Amino acid sequence: MKKLRNIFAETMLDLGKKDKKLVVMVGDISHGILKPFAKKFPNRYYNIGICESAMVNMAAGLSKVGLNPVVHTIAPFLIERAYEQIKLDFGYQKLDINLVSVGGSFDYSKLGCSHHCYNDVSILSHFKRCSIVLPGSENEFRILFKQIYKKKNINYFRLPEFSHNYKFNNKDIKFGKSIKVKSGRDVTIAVTGTQLKNVIEAEKLLKKNNISTEILYFHTIKPFDYESVKKSLKKTKRLISIEELSAHDGLYNSCIKASIGINNLKTDQIAVNDFVHTYGSYEDLCHSVGLTKENIFKRIKILVRKK
Amino acid sequence: MNTKLRLKIIEMIMRSREGHIPSSFSIVDIIEYLYSNVLKFDPKNPKNPNRDYFILSKGHGAAALYSVLNKHKILNEKHINLYGNKKGVLGGHPDMTKVPGAEASTGSLGHGFPTAVGLALGLRILNKKNKVFILLGDGECHEGTIWEAANIANNLRLGNLCAIVDWNGSAKQLMPRDELLKKWKAFGWKSNLMDGHSNDSMKKKLRGLKFNLNGSPNLLLAKTTKGKGVSFLEGHGTWHHKIPNENELKLIMKELTK
Repeated sequence: MKKLRNIFAETMLDLGKKDKKLVVMVGDISHGILKPFAKKFPNRYYNIGICESAMVNMAAGLSKVGLNPVVHTIAPFLIERAYEQIKLDFGYQKLDINLVSVGGSFDYSKLGCSHHCYNDVSILSHFKRCSIVLPGSENEFRILFKQIYKKKNINYFRLPEFSHNYKFNNKDIKFGKSIKVKSGRDVTIAVTGTQLKNVIEAEKLLKKNNISTEILYFHTIKPFDYESVKKSLKKTKRLISIEELSAHDGLYNSCIKASIGINNLKTDQIAVNDFVHTYGSYEDLCHSVGLTKENIFKRIKILVRKK
Repeated sequence: MNTKLRLKIIEMIMRSREGHIPSSFSIVDIIEYLYSNVLKFDPKNPKNPNRDYFILSKGHGAAALYSVLNKHKILNEKHINLYGNKKGVLGGHPDMTKVPGAEASTGSLGHGFPTAVGLALGLRILNKKNKVFILLGDGECHEGTIWEAANIANNLRLGNLCAIVDWNGSAKQLMPRDELLKKWKAFGWKSNLMDGHSNDSMKKKLRGLKFNLNGSPNLLLAKTTKGKGVSFLEGHGTWHHKIPNENELKLIMKELTK
C-alpha cells in the first residue's frame, strides 16, 4: 500500500495537467516524490526552503491573482508556526489556500515534541471559513482533495504516515459526511484518521463480550456531520471519541455539540492531553496516550456499564 | 511636501480620534508620488486585473494611504468622512475586504511584504507585466518574515517587485546597528537610497528602476522624517499614537498652513 504522501504527489501531477492554476509550494519536504510534478510544471512548483511563515504568507499573493496554491510541509511548521499567517492572510483577508501537512500528531515518533503536532485541528477549527480533512486512506485523499481544493476557503488536509487500511466504497466518501463503518446499539464510537485501525480491532474484543458498537468514521472534522452523531446517540446514549488530536476542540467537542438535547448521555474520550515526551515507534506513542485496542476495549466496557 | 494630504490626515484622525499621525506624515509623500507618477490604476475599477499593485505593509500608516486614494478618486469624501465610524469602511489599519484600493489587510507587521512576494511570483507564473510595489517600515524590518521573504524574492529573481522602506529611524532607536542598505544589498536586492520627501529624488530613483520578470528585485531605502511637516511631531517621542488636544491642533494647523 502506498503512503498518503505519495498519493498526494500523484494527485498533484494528475490535477496539474488539468488545472493550470494549481501551484505547489513545499518547505523542503517531499521534493523527491514531487519530482514528476516539478519536471512537468517547473513554473508551478517551488521548494521555497526553510521559511514556513513567509511561504504560507506568499500563498496569499498567489491567491490574489487567481491561482490555486497548495502549500505543503510538516504540520507543526505549516500550521502552528504559520498560524498568524493563516489567520490574517487567509481568514481575515478571505483569501484561499490549500494546506497539506504530514507529520501530524506524533507521526515523527522518534523525533520528539518539536516535530509533533496535536493542536492543528483544534486551532484551525476556530476559523469559520476553514475545511479540515483527515484522510486515512488513499481514496479518501484523492476524492476529497478533488472535491474541495477549488473551494474559496482555507482547506486543510492532514496526511497521516500510516493508513488505517480500511477500504471504503468510493461513493461513500463525501466531504462533510461521516461514514458508518458498523451499526450497533450499545455505544457510539466516533473515530478519525489512523485510529480506525485500533477501533476495528477493539470492536472484535467488544463483540466477544456482547457489546454492540456503532462506529462512525470522520475524514472531515469541519464541516462536521452533526446529524449522524445525533442520530446514533439517540439510540446508544453512549459516546466515546478516539482521536490522536488535542483533547480540546477536536472530534469529541463536535460530538458533544451534536448531542445537545439528548438525555442520560454518558461520554468518554481518548485523545492527546499534553506533550508526548516518549521516543519510540508510532505504536509506542499511541500506547503512551492510551490509543490501543486494549484501552479502547477497557474504557468502552466501563462506559456501557455507567448508569 | 504634500500639505493638503497632511491636512486631510489630520482632519480624519481628529474626527475619529484614531490613527498614527507621525507614521502617516512619514510616508504620505512616497505614496502620493507613486500614485501620481508611477502606478497604473483605474479609479473606476480598483480591481482592474491590469493594475499595478501597491501594498502598504506598515498598515498603521493607513490614513496616508486613504488620503492619497481620496485624492485619486478611488475613495470618495463619504469614505473619508466615515473613517473610524461604524457606518464606514476605513479604520486604523486597512481592511482589503472593504476598502477600495487596499490590496492587503495589514496591521500586523511583517505580513504585507511576503504577500507582495507571492503576488510578484503569481504574476510571473501568469506571465503578466503588472508591477508590484510594497512600502514597509524600517521598524517592520525587525520582523523575521521580512528577511525570509527578501531571501525568497532574490532567489526566485522577482524583478517585477519594488520594495520601499520608510527609513525614518524607528528601527534605529530600538536596535542601533541599523545598516539597512547593507542588509538589503547583502540579500541580493538592487538597492538605492532616496529622499522620501523629495519628488526630484523619488523621480530620479524610480525612473531608473528596471522591472525584469527574471531579475533582481528592487529596493529603495527612503530617507524620511517621522512626523514630517510639523516640528513637534517629528522624531520618536510620545506622538506615535497620540491624538492632539485643542491647543496642539492649533499649533499643527499653524505649521501646516504657514
